[in-house]
Amino acid sequence: MATNLHPTTNGTTNDDFTVKAGLAQMLKGGVIMDVTTAAEARIAEEAGAVAVMALERIPSDIRKMGGVARMSNPEMIQDIQKAVTIPVMAKARIGHVVECQILEALDVDYIDESEVLTPADDQFHVQKSDFKIPFVCGCRNLGEALRRIKEGAAMIRTKGEAGTGDIVEAVKHIRTVNADIARAKAALAAGGDLAISALAREIGADVALLKQTAELGRLPVVNFAAGGVATPADAALMMHLGCDGVFVGSGIFKDAETPEHAAKRARAIVKATAQYTDGKALIAASIEHGEAMRGISNAGLKPEEKMAGRGW
Amino acid sequence: MVNKPIAVGVLALQGGVVEHLNLLRKASAHIQSADNLQFTFNEVRTPPQLAQCDALILPGGESTTMAIVASRLGLLEPLRTFVKVQHKPVWGTCAGLVMLAEEAAATKQGGQELIGGLNVRVLRNRYGTQMQSFVAGLDLSFLGDSGKDDPFRAVFIRAPIVEKIITEGEVDGSKGSKVEVLGVFRAEGQQARLEQGGEAEKGDIVAVRQGNVFGTSFHPELTNDIRIHVWWLRQVVDALGHGK
Repeated sequence: MATNLHPTTNGTTNDDFTVKAGLAQMLKGGVIMDVTTAAEARIAEEAGAVAVMALERIPSDIRKMGGVARMSNPEMIQDIQKAVTIPVMAKARIGHVVECQILEALDVDYIDESEVLTPADDQFHVQKSDFKIPFVCGCRNLGEALRRIKEGAAMIRTKGEAGTGDIVEAVKHIRTVNADIARAKAALAAGGDLAISALAREIGADVALLKQTAELGRLPVVNFAAGGVATPADAALMMHLGCDGVFVGSGIFKDAETPEHAAKRARAIVKATAQYTDGKALIAASIEHGEAMRGISNAGLKPEEKMAGRGW
Repeated sequence: MVNKPIAVGVLALQGGVVEHLNLLRKASAHIQSADNLQFTFNEVRTPPQLAQCDALILPGGESTTMAIVASRLGLLEPLRTFVKVQHKPVWGTCAGLVMLAEEAAATKQGGQELIGGLNVRVLRNRYGTQMQSFVAGLDLSFLGDSGKDDPFRAVFIRAPIVEKIITEGEVDGSKGSKVEVLGVFRAEGQQARLEQGGEAEKGDIVAVRQGNVFGTSFHPELTNDIRIHVWWLRQVVDALGHGK
């Protein structure tokens, strides 16, 4: 019954992408929170999260425990789906087509092909346009973002260093993306299509997507910040730098003394994201937030301990 | 005589705000009137900004988030006054339709705050998760001839529908305008049976109006089709008594 209700057969490819990218557009200005249980998902929903990311361990615990990090147990994802009415996202390993098939069959709302999990393929990402379910992927620069969009990603997040509570890498990468976009605009203005082609070769991006980016003056899909957001001020900073919204991973539940404390943190970050230009609202949000996760300084991490570098 | 510009706001707590502003700007070029009227289009985040508006769009987004953020910003009561006391023209798309309903089903545990204004009950996420989101052509006769000849490519994303029109008397203060159904979506099978002369099946109500309150389940702002925005701006102009 449910299947014949949906006229997917009249949809063109173009329509499919409109639907995939459209959900991301509806999440703009919002906060997507990492949750590991149905109870945490309810805290996120009550706090005003626009979506939750279901995963077995928050990134700071993945970092601490080591080992191979994989797609979450489907049973745990189903528990979270039953608990909330907002969209539920879940992570698959980079290049792991079958984990993506499982998540699609689970009917999650978005798949994050994520460097926070241990990559399954050291050469290729998933061909995301082959799936009906939409994907979000990370990037450190414009070339990486446009490679993911070319593969079919309908949403991008600029990578930070997940699980650290240190915002520096997230700032570095959104600045890089912004600088790359400025360069593309300048190239189009000065040298037209030839200059765009040359720049596309240099950064490893699709020519048509790069031209579209230059014309729009922004990424052609929604772009959230992710990784290292630990306080309301961090979330507001990422909005200030031009992100469309934020993912908060460990920042809500790590080192929270009680569920009430986590709920306060979650509410505070939602408020700061919605009102990132309002100083008074940011004061109130910072007070409500209370003590943040302790965190790990990015400067003290060895290169092999960094997750943001995963992705090709 | 030149009138004061008509101030149209888009509630900018979260969601597809820029998309509506872009289509409103395009659509306004198609509005002609006797008195050469002008429009301004602005984002609305605070009660003072709302007070400046003659009309308002509630965009798509997550209705739970919008309700929570609106409540924390002290916007819910000003919004209810705007819609139900001042009767200024409003249009809600998707999450905005949910906010404008008097009742909502399939809400989060414990329910959610609504603005109201439409005597209807909406059913959230009628079609399921994002995997069941879709685009469909709709015949919208309120758009006039163009609505008949050229179906509107309606984008449904985790969309709600109007599952019930609450008849007068069931809701306090429901006297006045009646709820008009302006758009119905029929799935392929239903549509085929209708075309073969079968009995008209009800289908899903996806566009409604009651007085100055208009709601759609789908997202015209995710297309380049300005027809509904043009139509709505004309409704706004008429409601405000311009151009007559």
